[in-house]
Amino acid sequence: MAMATSTFSPRPATLRTPRPHSHPHLRLVPSPRLRLRRLARAAGEAPVEVAPPEQRETEPSPAVASNGTASKAATTAVKAEAVPAPVPSFRDARWVNGTWDLTKFEKGGVVDWDAVIDAEARRRKWLEDYPEATNTDEAVIFDTSIIPWWAWMKRFHLPEAEKLNGRAAMVGFFMAYFVDSLTGVGLVDQMGNFFCKTLLLVAVAAVLLIRKNEDLDNLKNIIDETTFYDKQWQATWQDEATGGPKN
Amino acid sequence: MTSLSSAVALPSSCRARPAGSSRRARMVVTRAAASSPKLPNGRRLRVAVVGGGPAGGAAAEALAKGGVDTVLIERKMDNCKPCGGAIPLCMVSEFDLPLDLVDRKVRKMKMISPSNVAVDIGRTLAPHEYIGMVRREVLDAYLRSRAQTAGAEVVNGLFLRYEAPKEPNGSYVVHYNHYDSSSNGKVGGEKRSFEVDAIVGADGANSRVAKDMGAGDYEYAIAFQERVKIPDDKMAYYEERAEMYVGDDVSPDFYGWVFPKCDHVAVGTGTVTHKADIKKFQAATRLRAKDKIEGGKIIRVEAHPIPEHPRPKRVSGRVTLVGDAAGYVTKCSGEGIYFAAKSGQMCAEAIVAGSANGTRMVEESDLRKYLAEFDRLYWPTYKVLDILQKVFYRSNAAREAFVEMCADDYVQKMTFDSYLYKRVVPGNPLDDIKLAVNTIGSLVRATALRREMEKVTL
Ligand SMILES: Cc1cc2nc3c(=O)[nH]c(=O)nc-3n(C[C@H](O)[C@H](O)[C@H](O)COP(=O)(O)OP(=O)(O)OC[C@H]3O[C@@H](n4cnc5c(N)ncnc54)[C@H](O)[C@@H]3O)c2cc1C
Repeated sequence: MAMATSTFSPRPATLRTPRPHSHPHLRLVPSPRLRLRRLARAAGEAPVEVAPPEQRETEPSPAVASNGTASKAATTAVKAEAVPAPVPSFRDARWVNGTWDLTKFEKGGVVDWDAVIDAEARRRKWLEDYPEATNTDEAVIFDTSIIPWWAWMKRFHLPEAEKLNGRAAMVGFFMAYFVDSLTGVGLVDQMGNFFCKTLLLVAVAAVLLIRKNEDLDNLKNIIDETTFYDKQWQATWQDEATGGPKN
Repeated sequence: MTSLSSAVALPSSCRARPAGSSRRARMVVTRAAASSPKLPNGRRLRVAVVGGGPAGGAAAEALAKGGVDTVLIERKMDNCKPCGGAIPLCMVSEFDLPLDLVDRKVRKMKMISPSNVAVDIGRTLAPHEYIGMVRREVLDAYLRSRAQTAGAEVVNGLFLRYEAPKEPNGSYVVHYNHYDSSSNGKVGGEKRSFEVDAIVGADGANSRVAKDMGAGDYEYAIAFQERVKIPDDKMAYYEERAEMYVGDDVSPDFYGWVFPKCDHVAVGTGTVTHKADIKKFQAATRLRAKDKIEGGKIIRVEAHPIPEHPRPKRVSGRVTLVGDAAGYVTKCSGEGIYFAAKSGQMCAEAIVAGSANGTRMVEESDLRKYLAEFDRLYWPTYKVLDILQKVFYRSNAAREAFVEMCADDYVQKMTFDSYLYKRVVPGNPLDDIKLAVNTIGSLVRATALRREMEKVTL
């Protein structure tokens, strides 16, 4: 977990804005982490390593036994507010009201979608490293589908995207039926409706799609993974001489 | 059996409510097991139900109603099972639950992605549709009181072990620690035992019945939950709303939640793969909800295992498992209350049918009928949720795509229908295809962004 391993300097007091819950206006470039370090160094301090705030909290800790129940009554305030979070928050002038302000991406009268993709990749990466509190007043409403398909295609080389897409969908389609016949439970048949079949299909296709490409060749693992749960369910019927559920 | 005194301590809220007489009577299918012998001189079939959660309560009620001599053993009458307490709408009608059992009616379920994209799923709900939030101590006590009204004997005691019979149609001996009302739920108590013809293990994830019958183990997730009392103005936000957070920060393989309860919220998360890090995930869940729960008082901290799949063996002779003891919690959503109650009821109905309303001995094959029926009815649901979990909880990119997908009205309608009613109504094939295309689109975009993210250095 990035949160646990990353360390950063505390925000210099001068960067704090007066509003209690507002975030410092940091620019993404250069990296705030580096920038903070630089600022700290400039101020003549060695970078101080600070653990993320939630780790500093002492929380009531019931013994989470390996397979046991634990519960206890406690009266402790949720302490998040006690410690001003030194976690830098995501800021970008083009990020307005929970989405990318497309007018700020215009280049010669048209939106530079490549730049939008870059900006969003950066934002997601940032939030992965520094997960941020949700804010009811400023909901994130950005939807990747507003970026037209051709921008993705152009960006990610049409032939490759098509190959990946087509291969996954095809393998997925056959896998769905193959896996189904393997398990002997007849999931596809049992779900006598199109929605479930589509779902199953999409799902299996997706398992393949979001894998790394090299795994794709390792069909055995995929089959194992897809049928693992089925085996766990069928164990009950294995010890029966007749085998298989009988109704 | 008659020597057993029932020391039942129900919370006043439940004692006040007589078990509904308005409930429509369940039709019990009576089908004599041809092979099993008739019980001697009018003796009724005796069944012990171990555990008084939703599974045990539902089983005991259906058994007693079907003419079976039933004893339910519960170690702690005011047990407050660590649980989110969300139940589907169909549970309210199928089990005729009185509406005052439902503390809150959630109509807005917020799904929040790793990059904080939030979608309200619930837009497609009809005015009468909602997800019910119950307090488990109230629900469990209510179901037990109904079992008692139906004629089951409810005993406060800790089940210790059972002895299997030596001869074919012999009795099982159940050993337990009896607590009288003064030692309710305390250690100590008096060792007692009694004889039964069959045992239903409804004693949850750490089932002793399962251990005694050699049912084998299952993988489990550990779920951690804090009950937080937040100021009224903050509570107002959660009036009809529940939140689900997804992301590697809150859980690598499950979700973090904020569920509204009667006068507080439950904030929690769970994981199978990284149990040692559960505190870190909990802190991350709290951080993501931050302002909304800030300043609240933690009134209770709890942790409990959640089974991931059924045990290798769910029946042995005339002993069988239901609910969490068997392992009936769905992947992806972590839902188990409904399936616990349903499996308890189905198991009881199989016993009632197999014993011709308590007049004949039952056999393993009768109990297996319940398993076959349960698997037939619900296996597709479990499988679909397993697939969904494998696909959409495997990485942040997939989670982003998942949340994006959930913004779609059609997806919302289909997921809510299948959650609320536990049945899947056929959709419109054209919409299904559109959905498939959109999903693939979302996944492709999320994966593409993920590749870009790998190149980014902050
Ligand atoms: C944190 C958390 C959140 C959850 N949230 C939800 C949710 O929102 N919605 C949902 O549907 N499901 C949820 N679940 C799952 C749900 O709680 C379980 O699936 C459900 O409680 C199973 O019911 P049960 O009757 O099988 O077992 P339990 O509810 O565990 O009941 C077992 C009963 O047996 C008793 N018992 C145990 N051992 C003995 C013994 N030796 N002698 C006598 N009595 C004994 C216990 O006291 C208990 O009352 C959640 C689980 C957890 C851990």
